Amino acid sequence: MSTVLERLDRLPRRNLTVLALKGISTLVPGGWHNTTSANELISSVLGSSDAALIAQVRARADVLSRARHEGYGRALSLYDAVNRSQKAAGGLRLLANVAAVLPLVKRAANLTPTSDTLQAVDLSLKVAAEMLAFTQVNGLPGDSFAEFGSSLGEYAGEARVRMAALICFDALLPLGDQGLQRLDGLLGRVGQRELRLSPAYAGMAAMIPGRGDEAHLGFLRRGVDQWLGWAAGFASDLGLSGQKAVQALESSLGPWQGGFEQLATFLDAFTDTYQHTGVQAVARRLVERAAAEI
Amino acid sequence: MSRMLRWGIGLLLMVSLLFAAFFLLPFRSWLPGGTVADVATAEVVNGSAFNRLFPSPEPGEQLVFTQEKRGFSEARLKQGQSIKALLAISDTTTAPEARSKFAASSQQLQGWPLVEQGNQASALLVAERFQVKVIGQGAGLDAEQRHDLIGAFDLEGLAALKPARAARAAKALAQGRLQPVQIPVPTATKEAAQSVPAVLEPAA
Repeated sequence: MSTVLERLDRLPRRNLTVLALKGISTLVPGGWHNTTSANELISSVLGSSDAALIAQVRARADVLSRARHEGYGRALSLYDAVNRSQKAAGGLRLLANVAAVLPLVKRAANLTPTSDTLQAVDLSLKVAAEMLAFTQVNGLPGDSFAEFGSSLGEYAGEARVRMAALICFDALLPLGDQGLQRLDGLLGRVGQRELRLSPAYAGMAAMIPGRGDEAHLGFLRRGVDQWLGWAAGFASDLGLSGQKAVQALESSLGPWQGGFEQLATFLDAFTDTYQHTGVQAVARRLVERAAAEI
Repeated sequence: MSRMLRWGIGLLLMVSLLFAAFFLLPFRSWLPGGTVADVATAEVVNGSAFNRLFPSPEPGEQLVFTQEKRGFSEARLKQGQSIKALLAISDTTTAPEARSKFAASSQQLQGWPLVEQGNQASALLVAERFQVKVIGQGAGLDAEQRHDLIGAFDLEGLAALKPARAARAAKALAQGRLQPVQIPVPTATKEAAQSVPAVLEPAA
């Protein structure tokens, strides 16, 4: 298994994911720098470009990310699980969009779940993944809802851009501008059946605390409750809306002529923004620790 | 049923059971490699013990804890939205090589050896075990400011800390109980664990 820093070095420098993030980052003050070099990250944290020191930090970071108890690797596998299922769901919806045009397979298209509730489940799973990864990296117990809620305000740099991307791509575009306000009601209607329909849940069920779907659903609702209050404030501070998100994306991706929902589907199927920024955030925390321990 | 078939089915069952045991059951946590440098977690001081030893922030500044693990705790010193410095305490039990740089140190702070690492990092080794480090971020801090920050930690409290396992070993046994037999196991981690109490004698 490759270490966190190896994965950081392998991140793309320019592709659809990077362009989408660049577009969204124009909405966030402070902007976003696409960190794809471990040595660069280490020297910026350490404030020094001494090659021997950088090599020491790197060796220590690799030792830390190989130790399972430390949680850095598990945080990455959470982001991977979310990413895999996002692609699966996006592909499914893309297929449904295409199939809806062809008369013969129209009936098949009706079978694929495209409802708002499923989108709400998807979003809540992403928020849960964010919280679980946060607790893994910071060393808190898995259900520290309050700590997660209070530290959301502290998010800086890539985490802010990741949250903006999450709010735009998974709430405002597919669910409309009132997506965040509707989310609570939508989640209330989610039962075990809907939860099981979501491909994201199958990949993440083993990593959510609690036994059984009912307990997991409770965990998702509580996690989203913590996140929603913060996210609504964040979105209104930055003035995020579906329209603004599309304009920001058009500035880097080029003109888009479909609907908001199709754009969300397209982004789900062809970008991995969540995983990309997740690797960068975990790598930063890991380097901060390794620099302090050498 | 022929004898060959019976043997075949038996072997197949055994192989599938072994396969299931190794790949499906959560045995991974029993295998080595779970902890940093394979040092048992009980031999490392938990990060929650370090948190209260951090300096209290000056007016206008904020101390935000970012990581708390076994043998490590880290906080960001913030002024408004910008990060001024990273403050950290780590237990060098899992990184003995980190101690070697202090052998060549010429500076001292409250009696403990102090070294500079690059332009923005200062480190102090307390009780030959705990490393206190300040790394300047953003605009950076000069050496004087970093040393002041290190001095603001509760260094005496830090020097008095002990890991859970060493403390338990030092406890006297009840009357009539025999001392457990110590079988000498020639591994590196075992030796390191036994040498710890000697290091942790009170500094004064």
